[in-house]
Amino acid sequence: MNDLTELDEPIEIAQTMRDEIRRVSNATRARRLMVSRVMTTLCAVTLAVTAVPLALLLYQLIKRGAPELTWTFFTKVPETPSLIAPNATGGLSNAILGSIALNVYASILAIPIGVLVGVYLAESMNKFAATLRVIAQTMAGAPSILMGLFAFSFLLQDLHIGFSAIAGSFALAVLMLPVIIIATEIAVLNVPNTLREAGLALGAKPHKVSMRVVIPSALTGIVTGCILAISRAIGETAPVLLVIGGGYLNTWKPLSPVSALPLSIYENAKSEWPSQRAQVWGAALLLVIFVFILSLTARIWASRKQKVSN
Amino acid sequence: MSEAQVTKSPTVVVRDPGHTAMQLHDVAVSFNGRVAVRDATFDVAKNRVTSLIGPSGSGKTTLLRALNRLHDLTPGAKVSGRIVLEGTDIYRGDMTVTELRTRVGMVFQRPNPFPTMSIYDNVVSGLRFNGIKKKSLLDEAAETSLRSAALWDSVESRLKVAASNLSGGEQQRLCIARALAMDPEVLLMDEPTSALDPIATLKIEELMTTLKERVTIVIVTHNMQQAARISDDCAFLLMGEDRAGELIEFDTTEKIFNNPNDSRTLDYTLGRFG
Ligand SMILES: Nc1ncnc2c1ncn2[C@@H]1O[C@H](COP(=O)(O)OP(=O)(O)O)[C@@H](O)[C@H]1O
Ligand SMILES: [Mg+2]
Repeated sequence: MNDLTELDEPIEIAQTMRDEIRRVSNATRARRLMVSRVMTTLCAVTLAVTAVPLALLLYQLIKRGAPELTWTFFTKVPETPSLIAPNATGGLSNAILGSIALNVYASILAIPIGVLVGVYLAESMNKFAATLRVIAQTMAGAPSILMGLFAFSFLLQDLHIGFSAIAGSFALAVLMLPVIIIATEIAVLNVPNTLREAGLALGAKPHKVSMRVVIPSALTGIVTGCILAISRAIGETAPVLLVIGGGYLNTWKPLSPVSALPLSIYENAKSEWPSQRAQVWGAALLLVIFVFILSLTARIWASRKQKVSN
Repeated sequence: MSEAQVTKSPTVVVRDPGHTAMQLHDVAVSFNGRVAVRDATFDVAKNRVTSLIGPSGSGKTTLLRALNRLHDLTPGAKVSGRIVLEGTDIYRGDMTVTELRTRVGMVFQRPNPFPTMSIYDNVVSGLRFNGIKKKSLLDEAAETSLRSAALWDSVESRLKVAASNLSGGEQQRLCIARALAMDPEVLLMDEPTSALDPIATLKIEELMTTLKERVTIVIVTHNMQQAARISDDCAFLLMGEDRAGELIEFDTTEKIFNNPNDSRTLDYTLGRFG
């Protein structure tokens, strides 16, 4: 029913348009190439500015720290050097054991609560949830010494729990909570809504959908958040400084005073003995290795292929 | 009782109630006071395929989701009018939303198998959500519904594999199997083939023609050839002046495509707009 004359016009318009596009494209090519080159150079410079200091830091750390990581370092408690044995620093087994204990207890305290609160925040939209979210976000930004001070006044002074691993774990758990809460909330919010709808459309109650569909789908993000929280806590000095008591004993008991790697670094760095000051680099390197392993685990976990069994 | 009320309305195409799966009477859905679709009055006939067609934004999805109360989750969404399933008003009647959704299943526009579950777990997930644990029952339901979804032969040997390993078309058939496992009376499908290639689309279309023997199907599609090929009845929706979708015409698919009452229906099916 359309005759051909009607069709001729659009084709002509298309042809002029194509010519125009080609003309403009040619006219601006040189400028666009230029901009592209400038941008590429800028990117390279920025990369160098970030990467070079980091590389130098790592180089120093490994160069000075690696020789310190001896068998004695891992298996002996500290000794005090003397004039006749200026290099008798002993090891830091007490601090390693203490750090592990502190973080295990802190994780046991923080992870279940943090995950539950995070899921709750993501799935509810009431005033209470909004208040909780503000608290979590404020806590995430609070200086970490505050957690130590809180644990000190509450657990040690009010409840008369002495210097102990559990007091330090409590402070670290408070530090970890907001990280876990926020990571969980984001992970749960990122679960596509269509999965929730699929669950509901099968007649599932909302809490069933949360437990069986949403949380499993968000698990990668939740676990990643927990690992990041642990790797933040493991290097923290301030929260544990006031409450774990230190000491040279190899112990992991919740109610005993313990030492920790960051605390050893803090104390040995002030030592008058060069050998003890050198040992600090070993402790620092070990901490970085811990954090590296944790974030590597987080990455592998995050990208792992879903292996499902019944 | 609701049936009597609905059939009183002059605009309803009255059929033998025994042959009607769902009845819509003056259904409208609005979001925060803005009407998305209105004037939907028609019967969904049992064991037939009813298609909802119309241009993008005419409210097809919105209307379909009203049929299993999926708008309940959306703050600001309001459904008015009456939707009756086998004599019970699904919004005001004596039926929980859970029961409704086990009787009216849904297949979504994009395949959405549960990514953390195996093929088997996906198929039986609805049964498990509703408290069924007996393994023999689950096994049987899994096999039956995978067979009905024409998927059994290709997945029988890898039931424990993650559902994400399937192709898009297979995932969508898995979603159909998942819905069928609940043995629903009605199956709602929202453009189930729009994300699939032509061969996968054809498979699902073939599937629908066999499935309607056991389940009533309501399908949204903006592909008119598809509606003409697979549906028995057809509802045509169009946006009004105020950009709210409304039901223009409901009839048998044959009538809608060959001899519609409304000139706008004819324009649309001839591809003159939309
Ligand atoms: N959750 C929602 N909130 C607000 N408006 C919505 C929502 N869902 C759909 N709408 C509106 O309803 C109208 C119809 O949309 P939809 O049903 O998706 O159309 P179709 O499926 O026919 O393309 C659109 O104008 C859309 O903006
Ligand atoms: Mg739609």
